[in-house]
Amino acid sequence: MNVELAIDALIAVGFASLAVRVVTGRRLFADIVTFVVFGLVVSLAWARLGSPDLALAEAAIGAGLTGALMLVAYRTLARGGWTPTPTEGRRSTVAVAIGVLSATAVAAIGVAAVGAAGEGSAPDSAGAAALEALDGTGLGNPVTAVLLLFRNLDTLLEMFVLLVVLLGTWAVATPLRTGVRARVPRDTPLVAALVGIVVPTAVLVAAHLLLAGTDRPGGAFQGGTVLAAAGVVLVLTGAIRARSRSGLRLRIALIAGVATFVAIGAGAPLFGAEPMELPGTWAVYLIEVAMMASIATTLLLLFTRSRGVGATEADAGAEGGR
Amino acid sequence: MTSVTLYVLAAAVVFGAGVFGVLTAAHLLRKLLALNMIGSAVFVLMLAVSGRPGGTTDPVAQALVLTGIVIAVASTAFALALAIRIHHDSGRVTLSAPEDDDDR
Repeated sequence: MNVELAIDALIAVGFASLAVRVVTGRRLFADIVTFVVFGLVVSLAWARLGSPDLALAEAAIGAGLTGALMLVAYRTLARGGWTPTPTEGRRSTVAVAIGVLSATAVAAIGVAAVGAAGEGSAPDSAGAAALEALDGTGLGNPVTAVLLLFRNLDTLLEMFVLLVVLLGTWAVATPLRTGVRARVPRDTPLVAALVGIVVPTAVLVAAHLLLAGTDRPGGAFQGGTVLAAAGVVLVLTGAIRARSRSGLRLRIALIAGVATFVAIGAGAPLFGAEPMELPGTWAVYLIEVAMMASIATTLLLLFTRSRGVGATEADAGAEGGR
Repeated sequence: MTSVTLYVLAAAVVFGAGVFGVLTAAHLLRKLLALNMIGSAVFVLMLAVSGRPGGTTDPVAQALVLTGIVIAVASTAFALALAIRIHHDSGRVTLSAPEDDDDR
């Protein structure tokens, strides 16, 4: 047994057992925390499966943001009168049987698929075609090329889905207009230091992820999520807070992604390209910057469940455009 | 046994655990945790079984999963907003009828 296989076994057993723990746990709060750890271990699996792009996305989105959303929902429920009580033991033979049955079915399908694919996939697969066409694009990261060049309609529609989800959240959000509010006193020295270090670093990391994304792992989604996470820190520490209406800059940031994407995609014939065929690397950068702004703003507003965010004090406007 | 097979089997366990969780959990947040785990299992499975042309992981599969992760967090956020609204309007954190509350 070699070391690589041992590491993979450790990761695989790790996230599988964490998953079992999440569904059999009795304290919801602890299980949400376990779920976050599960997400982090899954992101290790992505890295081991040769996909650092997904590892970054899973760590930031799957573990980080989903966990933060869950914990805030937990707190909102608790504040709204729900008392967290340990779940009594759930014994359902039928549920266990269905769970085991579906796991077996998935395992059978998966193992069969692995056997069919083998190590080298069919030369006419979409992935092989994408890698082949990569040389002519000027991009070094095949995932970014697929997202923005080869299958960019998917990515555009994904941006629309984010907007629709935000509209839906606005529609059903509780009348509690202030949304998520800070509990941490701002004048605590540790909080100021945290905000002072974490937020600028996050902005830097986001910019790096965006710029690196064309050639190396990273991209608008990862960068946007890190930026949204910086916003989440600002909200949780009370530097910015939810508002009941969104300013113009915020609205522009929300639709910047789809607007830029549609504008360049529709205007592509002017540059001698087919509609939605991006006319150059500059277009990729432009769209990615706009998408990052939209993703960060949308995710932050999904977190605060509010129509807008603004600075808490008189230094308003500094964060208004996010 | 190869590494890929290991991940496929682990994903299958996560999928089964998620199905069990969705079936048994009464609390809406628990149901969402379980649904998210099913999603993660499908994503791991997709990437594990996708081919590796030229030694690199299939970029189309990676892009699909990346899209999936973003959509999953967005729909989770929406579902959480719904759950909070349900609790706000009815005072309950489950979907079952009031008399079934102590069922599980």
